[in-house]
Amino acid sequence: MREIEVNNLNKYFGRRQVLKQINFSVKKGAFLSIFGPNGAGKTTLVKILSTLERPTDGQVTIAGAVLGQDPTQIRKRIGLISHSPLLYLDLTAYENLEFYGTLYGVAGLKERAEFLLDQVELTHRRHDLVRTFSKGMQQRLAIARALMHQPSILFLDEPYSGLDPHAVDILDGLIDSIRADHTFVMVSHNLDKGLSLCSDAMIIEAGRIIFHEDKKDIDVDEFQQVYRRSVRGEM
Amino acid sequence: MLPLRQLWVILKKDILLELRTKEMILSMFIFVLLTMLVFDAAFMADKNDLTTFGGGLLWLAFIFMSFLGLNRSFVHEKDEGCFDGLLLSPIDRSIIYVAKMLGNLILISVVEAAAIPIFTIFFIRYPYYAHWDHLWPFVVGVVLGNFAIAGVGTFVATLAINTKRREQLLPILGFPLLYPVMGPIVIISGTMMGGKIGALAAKQVAGSMQILVAYDIVFFVAMAMIYDMVLGE
Repeated sequence: MREIEVNNLNKYFGRRQVLKQINFSVKKGAFLSIFGPNGAGKTTLVKILSTLERPTDGQVTIAGAVLGQDPTQIRKRIGLISHSPLLYLDLTAYENLEFYGTLYGVAGLKERAEFLLDQVELTHRRHDLVRTFSKGMQQRLAIARALMHQPSILFLDEPYSGLDPHAVDILDGLIDSIRADHTFVMVSHNLDKGLSLCSDAMIIEAGRIIFHEDKKDIDVDEFQQVYRRSVRGEM
Repeated sequence: MLPLRQLWVILKKDILLELRTKEMILSMFIFVLLTMLVFDAAFMADKNDLTTFGGGLLWLAFIFMSFLGLNRSFVHEKDEGCFDGLLLSPIDRSIIYVAKMLGNLILISVVEAAAIPIFTIFFIRYPYYAHWDHLWPFVVGVVLGNFAIAGVGTFVATLAINTKRREQLLPILGFPLLYPVMGPIVIISGTMMGGKIGALAAKQVAGSMQILVAYDIVFFVAMAMIYDMVLGE
């Protein structure tokens, strides 16, 4: 069963085309890692999939709902962890989770927030302003925020950016614990991390998909060569 | 009930953030006080009796003060991409608009509640506040005027949120949109503070009230309806 389906997706910013005829699908429970050089269109793609940007044309279906027709239904099912934590710096950790939990209509809000704070090892700082947190702690709280409403699809845009090794372990553990019943799309520059987690890998360069394979069909050396050539702009 | 809870939680968050940072309220209050100092210097020759044209000067200060605050009203949302977090949530976009607009309305009203007595003490010689017949139209006029400013200001501030020149965009778009109600707002406040309410003035005030109410309803409904378009949906 396909959880995400993208057909003939194009995106323009003014006259500049940043995504060109993007077609792919992601099966339920799969983990798609997307690689590519800076400016390739990876983040724009994730923004479109997470309903933050509108495609210029093409069709995107997420969890059975068509983007543009039923965005609210899609938003209930997705979570986004990006390199920006999407947290209010002058609210406490708990207040941030309570705020987002209420917007999503999460049942058992207090218990869910406490559980997630425990999972990201921030229970002892739950009543502290996020402004006083380190980058790593903010990112851990951002993970809790994204999981508050128990989304079935998670978009990860450079989630390991700025994390210390301990925070990396926590994120790895969280992904591992929910891996079985979630679908993931991750944008990353970290080839080793992205390949170790994924079930499918994709490379985007200059707005086009230049590589998309099931991980079991991938020759890692060949993949790394393709990726390095794309980063150097030799494709 | 969920939409109401969503509206309340956004409003509560905005008020809580403002109470903690005081970013908007302090700058707005200081601005309005400084404007009054300028009035004091400018109208010293008239012994600071602004009773005749107090309405115009009062709203001159309030509109600039409101735009100063409204420019800051999305600062928290821009920090660390919080506005994206809000947009990711499964809520109707009109709820975001109404909540942000109410938050701005409350802040503008709080600053004005402190500024009006100061303005009255120093510049208005007629004790309009002691006459109920003068006070209630004055208060209703202020509330309706604030509603218009907060409604239009919140809408335009959202338009400007992702632009480089957002501090210029708000007055450039906001003033023309508010122009139709500036006259009625000034007429109501000025007439009541002046205390000369004949039949003609009473008719003018009633007409101004009607214009303000109609403007507030039309703009509020229209802006709430098209807010999702402003957000690119």
